[in-house]
Amino acid sequence: MILFFDFHVKDDPELVKEADRLGYAGLTLFSNGNGNNSNGNENKVEVASGETTNQENSIKKENPIKTYKGVFISAKNPENMRQKVKKSRKNADVIMVRGGDQKINRAACEDPQVDILSAPYLKRRDCGINHVMAKKAALNEVAVELNIKYLIKTNSYLHYKVLSHFREIIKLKRKYGFPLIITSDAESIYDLHIPQDLIALSGCFGMDREEAEAALSETPQKIIERSETRDKVVVDGVKIIE
Amino acid sequence: MKLKILPPHLRNKKRYLAFEVRSQNPLTRDEVISLIWGAAGGLYGSCGVSRFDLWVVKVWKCNSSGQNITKGILRCRREEVDRVRSVFPVINRFKGKRVVFHTLGVSGTIKSARRKFIKEGSQSLF
Repeated sequence: MILFFDFHVKDDPELVKEADRLGYAGLTLFSNGNGNNSNGNENKVEVASGETTNQENSIKKENPIKTYKGVFISAKNPENMRQKVKKSRKNADVIMVRGGDQKINRAACEDPQVDILSAPYLKRRDCGINHVMAKKAALNEVAVELNIKYLIKTNSYLHYKVLSHFREIIKLKRKYGFPLIITSDAESIYDLHIPQDLIALSGCFGMDREEAEAALSETPQKIIERSETRDKVVVDGVKIIE
Repeated sequence: MKLKILPPHLRNKKRYLAFEVRSQNPLTRDEVISLIWGAAGGLYGSCGVSRFDLWVVKVWKCNSSGQNITKGILRCRREEVDRVRSVFPVINRFKGKRVVFHTLGVSGTIKSARRKFIKEGSQSLF
């Protein structure tokens, strides 16, 4: 059986319950959701993540579903992004960087500490990724997010635009092989969907079944595996074995 | 003289999709139908939808614990099941209130779709 994960969900016990009902095996909860602007300084992030730990423990007891702690970073410039990533790397399982700006997209692709580049096409006319970034993302194993909520929230007469961005990204993925991840970015139970429905929807932007399953199941598992072993890795290729 | 009906090998093969709707406001059967048709038309256009052979067979109201839940059975062509399923995640709003559609399962007959996915004790909405 395939285990499905959703790696972009607001931190809310009700959402965890609903996701469990819909058949997800794990979630990454973001206490500072998409709304967090660049003014949210580091202190604020840490306070928020401190709260998450307590809540998460209570959630873990109630539900068999696994939850991971994520930190969502929205930075003004690449330097700012690197600082924030460095600061929050230790107390987060998953680090997601908000894309949209060409420079930040590129910096996120070049940073192996980043797990997910969220929506590089955000408020852009192109898909936000080119061949250079695609190569870097494949090298550093930075997953590129396909945000289903972004598709659904856009006006229906502009759906074609988002779908064509997704297509572009998938084209680059086939060529360079960086990981893709499909997330719901859910803020309420009305944003969560059954994984099989999402797989069916991904046929709309040219993904086949295996690719969609990998985006919902393999990529998240790899990210978690990597973040678990990250502390033990000294340099690239050198690991401490106990 | 009795008219001949279409022989089975020439009929369209059907599948029945059981679905569930959760909404902030209670929905009627007509509203469910217009939601599905609107979203399918928006995503695939008339040309695509004409291939689906869509038909809402029946809709039930099964409210529980303060939530408005509507369940129903949707008929479509066998080859197009995946494309019909992909319409569900696109539906998110109705008259300014939130709605969400989930597929409960796919079945070959109405009877088994009802037995497997739609529990007893639900009130039918014609």
